[in-house]
Amino acid sequence: MKWLRTLKTYTNIWTILSIVFALFVILPNISIIVQLFSEPNDNWQHIQEYMLQNYIQNTLLLVVFVGGFTLIIGTSLAWLISAYDFPMRRFFQWGMILPLAIPPYIGAYTYHGILNYTGVIQTTLRDQFDVTVNQDYFNIMNMPGAIFILTIFLFPYVFTITKAFLARQSTALVENARLLGSNAWRTFFRVVLPISRAAMIAGVSLVILEVLNDYGVVKYYGIQTFTTAIFQTWFGMGDLNSAIKLAGTLMLIVLAILVVERIMRGRRRYSFTTTKVKLLKPTRLEGKTKWLVFTYCMTIFSLGFIIPVIQLIYWATMAYEQFFEQDFWSLIGNSVFVAFVASILIVVMAVVISNFSRLNRGLLAKTFPKVTILGYSIPGAVIAVGVVTLFTAIDRQLFGFYEWLGFEPTLVLSTSIVMLIFAYVIRYLAVGYNSIESGFERIGTNFTEASRMLGMSVTKSFFKVDMKLIRGAIFGGFILAFIDIMKELPLTLILRPFNFDTLATKAFQYATDEMIQRSAMPSLLIILVSGIAIYVFHHVLEKES
Amino acid sequence: MFVHIRNLAFKYPQAKDHTINDFNLTIDQGEIISILGESGSGKSTILRLIAGLEMPTNGNIMVGDHCMCSNSQFTQPEKRGIGMVFQDYALFPHMTVQDNVKFGLQKWPRKDKKERIHEVLELVGLEDYRKRYPFELSGGQQQRVALARALAPKPKLLLFDEPFSNLDADLQIRIREELRRIIKAAGVTSIFVTHDQDDSQALADRIVVLREGNIVETGTPEDIFGTDCNFSDRMPVKPRVLSRV
Repeated sequence: MKWLRTLKTYTNIWTILSIVFALFVILPNISIIVQLFSEPNDNWQHIQEYMLQNYIQNTLLLVVFVGGFTLIIGTSLAWLISAYDFPMRRFFQWGMILPLAIPPYIGAYTYHGILNYTGVIQTTLRDQFDVTVNQDYFNIMNMPGAIFILTIFLFPYVFTITKAFLARQSTALVENARLLGSNAWRTFFRVVLPISRAAMIAGVSLVILEVLNDYGVVKYYGIQTFTTAIFQTWFGMGDLNSAIKLAGTLMLIVLAILVVERIMRGRRRYSFTTTKVKLLKPTRLEGKTKWLVFTYCMTIFSLGFIIPVIQLIYWATMAYEQFFEQDFWSLIGNSVFVAFVASILIVVMAVVISNFSRLNRGLLAKTFPKVTILGYSIPGAVIAVGVVTLFTAIDRQLFGFYEWLGFEPTLVLSTSIVMLIFAYVIRYLAVGYNSIESGFERIGTNFTEASRMLGMSVTKSFFKVDMKLIRGAIFGGFILAFIDIMKELPLTLILRPFNFDTLATKAFQYATDEMIQRSAMPSLLIILVSGIAIYVFHHVLEKES
Repeated sequence: MFVHIRNLAFKYPQAKDHTINDFNLTIDQGEIISILGESGSGKSTILRLIAGLEMPTNGNIMVGDHCMCSNSQFTQPEKRGIGMVFQDYALFPHMTVQDNVKFGLQKWPRKDKKERIHEVLELVGLEDYRKRYPFELSGGQQQRVALARALAPKPKLLLFDEPFSNLDADLQIRIREELRRIIKAAGVTSIFVTHDQDDSQALADRIVVLREGNIVETGTPEDIFGTDCNFSDRMPVKPRVLSRV
């Protein structure tokens, strides 16, 4: 009897929708795992024997070096900017996030453009100083080049997470260490590094997931990794079956990384909850140290933002006319349309799942938040494979239905924009979810309970009370998802309908077609929108806390 | 008997032991009951079970002639007609005092609504503050708004979760006299949980002393604390320094 009572009580629209949405996210992944164990073909034998080792090697090299360098740069910047006062420190607090506004693939071809034979450096050397350099020294299109690009545009993940931690959690410990006579280096290595380990690991794992997701940089620089291999086997060889197997292997690697991260963070969370947040008071630097620290920060900022942006602006001035007369409006329209629709869906799904999870206890309520993160951890190319297999399967099931409707083509869903939007939603659900969940956490459940005690159902309570109180968080989730989708490349390249281009795909296509100037305008637009969002977010968040 | 609670038991999903074990209580119409216990004694859980915010693992709750909860049936909190004043009041920050009070009256005819808002705000003495927002009120005023809001839909039963814990001591003494007057004037059956024996003694018709989810004593304030003011030698709960007595 009791289970019947439980079932009756908890069966409502929120529960049902949450289950449906969670299935959306899980299904494509399941379809990959299932086919991972299907009968391999000759192609796969070949890949396994001759190429797989190379893919794994390159992927690991990238992960290890980019992870290591972002860790060093991100953590050192976070500490310097939280603990010391030096010129432009206030600007760097948010300025150091700006490199995230530049998608690494845009950075990749921009730096190639700067450094190659016709680039600004070599031309200047030739024309002004009559120096012709050895091309090998200026070739960035190799493994070290890719490591440089990914490091310089991804380190802000480590920087922001570690800085947020240091600013809020470390004050008492750091002040104590100082009072106990620790000098700066000792404080950093003996206190700051150990206590911020969890934050650093969290940041680096985000970086690693981004590295595994990357397609643009490695493709442009001609490095064979899992993502490029998935593209190649699928489109080059037309072998979806082997592509699925590659995707499945990559997925296992990602899961292994997530498990390792969990273990490394372990029980030691290194965060004690004090309601009184006391910000770390920065020490003023003087003399030589001041300028040394400033130069370090400025160098990183220049490499990660100023130099590529200036180069892009210069190119844009050379080619903007062509861009405006051609497909400008349709590109912007497409980009905004898909990002808008997908972000709306993401926000709706995130609201439903997080509201369900916070108001209920039990297994489902505890698992669903984890399911939403799934898509964000899994590389875009893998999701693309999963979504395509799922949609073609659905199309086959619906074959009779299409005929009955009088449709000529047999593949309806899997050639439409629905598939692309569906994939965006899976991949970026976590982005919206995090924002909305933290909004719900801030208001707690008291208002909802008060509203229910006054006779409102859960749904009415949501619309009359909860939604109004977390408006900011909902809007924030929408914007973050919107920007990530605008920048997205691998999913869009694979899943877009025929002749459908966005700013991101067009920019990348121009760059690979050696029309670097023409890719500058769409690239700048993406950077501009992302940069504005970063600025607004930083300043809104600053005010709130 | 107006409220009838039988064999109530509750366990949080991850917890080893039951928070509430076989809790039984009957309450007369119009009676003010105080559940007195230390933190962790399960007193707030009982309140949440009666409100319908938690589902018991066993037991029945009857209010009036309606079965709120049994092993085969569970009435959602919004359908119970029970009012609650929360520990932190939970006044909706985006609504004025008037809108907060109106919130529970959505199904009432418009004219009755207006009258009722006027009535309860007068009862708590906040008629002049109807256009204010909660953050513009003092702690004591906020609490009275919370009370007015809970009273407005004419609940069969009114629950108070630690109603004075957010008020300073002077205000606490004044307000609990006031509170008793208002509850008695409204004639509504009430249960409030507290860890403070002074509150219990000043407010309740009957006190239920709770320890680790079990009732250890029940009776009128006189039964439990004796008739004289100096009851410190018979403290059933953690002693509290009573410098004011």
